[in-house]
Amino acid sequence: MIIMLVEKTNIKTYIPQREPFVMIDSLIEANEIGFSSSFFINNDNIFIENNILSEAAIIENIAQTCAAGFGYLSSLEVESEPRLGFIGAITKLEVFNELKTNAMIETHVSIINTFENIHLIEGIARSLNIDILKCQMKIVLS
Amino acid sequence: MDRLEIITITKKFLSEEFEVDINSIMDHENLRETLDLDSLDYVDLVVLIEENLGFKPTADDFKTVETFDDFYNLVEQKLMNV
Repeated sequence: MIIMLVEKTNIKTYIPQREPFVMIDSLIEANEIGFSSSFFINNDNIFIENNILSEAAIIENIAQTCAAGFGYLSSLEVESEPRLGFIGAITKLEVFNELKTNAMIETHVSIINTFENIHLIEGIARSLNIDILKCQMKIVLS
Repeated sequence: MDRLEIITITKKFLSEEFEVDINSIMDHENLRETLDLDSLDYVDLVVLIEENLGFKPTADDFKTVETFDDFYNLVEQKLMNV
């Protein structure tokens, strides 16, 4: 059994997105080196076309994994205000496979480096241990 | 690592990563303008410096850097303290 740090019922506390743009269900892991999340692709997801989830939705899933992870970590700090994160750049995008509906995405984010309030991360989305999409992002925290 | 090695290594990784002519990296030229760096590029620069020169610069370190010559001075100073 996987223990969630943040369950689906509470995830919107840590990310600014609201339905139908929420692309993450649960935060599984969060620490200074990275984050993990899960997300189930429902049939009614707005980014589904011809039964396939768009790459943009998976990139958004990686970004929201970062938002939830950074948000969760800042919530552990005493008297800390939640910090908004913005995608500064997306690079080194690789798409390996398509993702159909009724599949679960497991997303892993590694923090490669940090300079001031800019974090360089690498995110990879997998489904049933099959790589779906990988990219790097620069996340700027407000 | 002596200064000549620092310059050779630095010119190579900067010209490759930021896609500038290696001959445009001159000692007295402005580093930020020559490489056309924006604020987001600095995190890439930090990664490259760590990988190629073996230390992680801070934001304060960059305050002393205007030209490539300043950058080589910074690297020399940092490597002396490693």
